[in-house]
Amino acid sequence: MIRLASLLLLLIGLYGVLTTKNVIKMIISINIMELGVNIFIISVGFITNGVAPNLTEHIDSSLSNFVDPLPQALVLTSIVIGLGITSLGLAFARKMNKKYGTYDLTMIGGMKDE
Amino acid sequence: MNNPVLLIIIPLLLAFVSVIIKKAGKWILLLGVLINTVLAFFITTGETIIGGFLPPAGINLVVTQFTLVGVILINSLMLLTIIMSIDLVGKYSVILLTALAGINGMLLTGDLFNLFIFMEITVIAAYILSAQAKKYHHTITYLIIGSVGSTFYLLGIILLYHLTGSLNMADVAAKLPLLTTKELLVPILLIFIGIGVEVKLLPVSGWVKGVYAHANRLIAPLFASIIAGTALFVFGKLFVSVLPLSDTLTMLILVMSVMTFVFGEFAAFKQKQVKEILLFSSIGQAGLITALFISGLVYAAVILIISNVVSKLIMFTIAGAFTEKYQTDNYHSLSGVFVHNKITGIAFTIAALSMTGIPLLIGFYAKLNILIGFFHAGNYVLPVIVLLMTIVEGAYIIKLLLALWAPGKEGQVSLESFAVEKKQLLSVKNTAICLIVALVLIVGGTLIDTTSKIVTNGQPLLGDESPYFIISQSKGGE
Amino acid sequence: MKKVFIGIFIIAFTLMFLIAMSNSISLFTYNESLPETNVSNDYIHKSVTKDSEEIIFNETKDAETGSANIVTSIVVNYRSFDTLGEVTVLFLSAMGVMLLIGSSDLFMKRKKSGFILRTAAKILFPVLLVVGTYIFTHGHLGSGGGFPGGTMIASSFLLLYLADEKFVAKIEQFKTLLGSAGTLYILIGLTGLLVGGYFLQNFLPTGTVGNLLSSGIIPVVYISIGLKVGSEVTLIISSFLKEEVTS
Repeated sequence: MIRLASLLLLLIGLYGVLTTKNVIKMIISINIMELGVNIFIISVGFITNGVAPNLTEHIDSSLSNFVDPLPQALVLTSIVIGLGITSLGLAFARKMNKKYGTYDLTMIGGMKDE
Repeated sequence: MNNPVLLIIIPLLLAFVSVIIKKAGKWILLLGVLINTVLAFFITTGETIIGGFLPPAGINLVVTQFTLVGVILINSLMLLTIIMSIDLVGKYSVILLTALAGINGMLLTGDLFNLFIFMEITVIAAYILSAQAKKYHHTITYLIIGSVGSTFYLLGIILLYHLTGSLNMADVAAKLPLLTTKELLVPILLIFIGIGVEVKLLPVSGWVKGVYAHANRLIAPLFASIIAGTALFVFGKLFVSVLPLSDTLTMLILVMSVMTFVFGEFAAFKQKQVKEILLFSSIGQAGLITALFISGLVYAAVILIISNVVSKLIMFTIAGAFTEKYQTDNYHSLSGVFVHNKITGIAFTIAALSMTGIPLLIGFYAKLNILIGFFHAGNYVLPVIVLLMTIVEGAYIIKLLLALWAPGKEGQVSLESFAVEKKQLLSVKNTAICLIVALVLIVGGTLIDTTSKIVTNGQPLLGDESPYFIISQSKGGE
Repeated sequence: MKKVFIGIFIIAFTLMFLIAMSNSISLFTYNESLPETNVSNDYIHKSVTKDSEEIIFNETKDAETGSANIVTSIVVNYRSFDTLGEVTVLFLSAMGVMLLIGSSDLFMKRKKSGFILRTAAKILFPVLLVVGTYIFTHGHLGSGGGFPGGTMIASSFLLLYLADEKFVAKIEQFKTLLGSAGTLYILIGLTGLLVGGYFLQNFLPTGTVGNLLSSGIIPVVYISIGLKVGSEVTLIISSFLKEEVTS
């Protein structure tokens, strides 16, 4: 079910990217897409009745039902990349607003540059 | 010290150092590019393991003859671009160094997820560099298309991980033939879309026009020849040697590539701005190159990449100089500009003619190999398209060259007094570099045997056995 | 009518996408155990370079990586090169944000912070700093690591920034910290290259699994990542708080 939900989240984000004109909303939509993909990656590594891949005093490596640790490591990376892209996108959006006075991408097309 | 990891690490280290030493940014950048170019000539083919953990668990860098060509080509072009436009670097030296690390990582890495990371590094650097033109809405368009593309790529490799249990390219390539075409359809398509954004294939190349058309003398060659060239090499690596394509997928991707090719050439024909002509021609060439990779003609594709990126380096540098000196790059308002700058004009002309495929230039050799390869494979549709598009290409290039060389309108006697006012386009240093690079195009196209020997080193590239043209045996391989 | 058409198209596309996806991956059922061929088995049993026996917490010595947290061992040991790239991505976006909007020295005008905020910030700042440091030094033992720890440190500095106007001038010095932390990470990697022949190789003893002073270079790398992420996030947010000078 989680996989289905995360893919729907991805599609909702894609819909947002394709239909909105406001730059901030577009960046939020991309965030939703990335969120969907991140949840999907975690769900790929899920094992029924699995435990977290962390050795403690009660859990050692002979236990066979660890969930897959690799997707979790990948998600860590992908979250940070998402953060970087979001902050950069917002900086561009602010510069754009400063220059053209709008956040609407379609409004700028016909505008003359100073 | 021929460890290829140094190609990634040294620019990265220098980028971090130049944050601390702010004043010396420009010189640190020059130093980094110089070291990288020298190192690129010393690396040898083989595998380098990182962290001491054997793949598939660890990450490795793989250098094949194909990668080696890419690494040497891209690093040398980066050096030339930086030397030519060092005056425009300004605050961007950190970004350029990081971009160089990302580009080398993309070319060298042998791991699918690692490729994603280096792709993100390169792409984010490209976003920042494209903002240099202060056309922020174009940058945002690029950022949004790019992020959607990389999200798709990530989803694709995760599906491959689910199916094969590995992320290492060689390991994945060994396991994929065991899977059914139905299972592989979605992941390969997603990866194709993700890479396609950078390669500039048709449905996802909407960002190219806005970003390339306003770039300056430093950024334009960087995008059009260095980043685009890297993306093409990565496309070749993935789609020739890693992902097995079923017949349906081959057909689909081939159709998209050829559509991009035809669209790019016709769109270039219609443009009036020099940079727009060049950027649409870049899109077209990218379509042709991906079509060649999909058809398995690796050698022809590599020669075409070399010919294309080297010509684009010269042409975009000069086109950037047009906007810099004359505030326009519409070729009607630039008529006769080369009358005042003959040597620059000669370099531009050689590059342009090489792109159309005039004999004795390397572009001709590339087109020759394409035709030989397709005929040998029994494919007679694509050669016809290639030849037809060459006519279109020739038409717009000749139109462009005539406007830039001959002042005055059509049917008028061409007098120097009709030309635009006299300004020096490029400094003496840059003119010399452009001319030398243009001479490389001639030498590479004339001494075909040497070119093929340097490129292939006697081995087939990525297992491509199809014949190519060399003079000493008339037709090689047969 | 148009809306209905668009709605039908969206539903059709969604179904098509999900059906196509379900060819590659089952959307409703999960694996009962890790497949035999999966690389993650090697990570769990720490048997990438050599076949190791069972790893027991507080007992096993000198395993190939000493981290009790398997995810950490992947992030900082097995796939450390990815992490270097990831840190670079954040570095690049911090530099980009600073280039774009961080150039001015003017900060947005705001009301003088109240007494409660000032006092609370003074109390909370050391607590947040200590918790952040705790989190990134214990990344190899349990949940945690350089990224969450770094962001906590950033939040502590931003709290101080909110409370104290004079603190603003000091934020610029984070650039030096950022550069040094990145340089440290690469120098660790290069030391590995010189000592063991592989870039980013673990050159310190890995110790007993579960001890604080164990697992070789992991704590060192995580400290540099923590400082780097902390300064990057601080710089990004403080750039956004700057007033733009109209030129």
